[in-house]
Amino acid sequence: MTSVQIGFLVLLSISFIVILGFIHKVWKVALLVDGGPKPSISRLTKLGRLPADRVEISRWAAYFHRISGVGIFIFLVLHIIDVSTIAFSRSLYDNLHQIYSTWPMRLFECGLLFALVFHALNGLRLTFVDIFDVGIRKSNIALRILLIISIVTTLGGSLIILQPVFN
Amino acid sequence: MKTNTPVRSFISRELSYIALRTTGLLLAVLALGHFMITHITNDVAETDSSFVISRWSSTLWVVWDVLLLTSALIHAFAGLAVIVHDYSKNPESRARKLRLLSILVMLLLVIGLMVMAVSLFRIYGTGA
Repeated sequence: MTSVQIGFLVLLSISFIVILGFIHKVWKVALLVDGGPKPSISRLTKLGRLPADRVEISRWAAYFHRISGVGIFIFLVLHIIDVSTIAFSRSLYDNLHQIYSTWPMRLFECGLLFALVFHALNGLRLTFVDIFDVGIRKSNIALRILLIISIVTTLGGSLIILQPVFN
Repeated sequence: MKTNTPVRSFISRELSYIALRTTGLLLAVLALGHFMITHITNDVAETDSSFVISRWSSTLWVVWDVLLLTSALIHAFAGLAVIVHDYSKNPESRARKLRLLSILVMLLLVIGLMVMAVSLFRIYGTGA
């Protein structure tokens, strides 16, 4: 473990703490401002129930859009800093970059893939709904479809990303 | 009538709205494409410095990365500005947070562009 690698891990740990803090903030404001009962496991499992004009699921999509956006931005800050080592020396970059192919980092990349795909597809849905004014019912059906696509894409991508770990 | 006047920022809310969505459309291709070539079509272990240098030797990927960097930072700034407007009700702390955010984003843009400029200079700078 070299000093740049330790530095990277420290920054990554700080990133996780900031993201957890932001999730706490979203959660607190959600209960305070938007009202409604506290979310429990049994309630969360009922989020996707029909009919499709229930708005509960799109409220949770909005929270996750926010959390994934902040998470991706914090990783972007870290990523710009770690790639910038290539301007100083290529061996420094190669040394630091070995962290990316360790198994915990590969697991993190699977999570990043889910956040990216969900945030992209949900953002496209919101833009589409804004421009064409499709209404709550169709927009919620689109949300269900994009959730399934995100999960399937992440599972498929994870198999490819994690494959070297099992070999 | 009491109006909830937002802090006057150097970017209007209309421009911010348009910027968030246009950069979002761009990023749906650029960011997912970037993840795809670094994790799916290539294994992440292969993406060492020679991978980066060979990619930046082609104009397509230089344009791709510059667009990705700038649109991601514009998108992040516009998105985080919405979050600051939502969660920070005090006009002074709101203005302070937006100022800090714009400094951070500008700094990251400068770092990113300079790293690319230095690398491109190393690739092409020796002269023909």
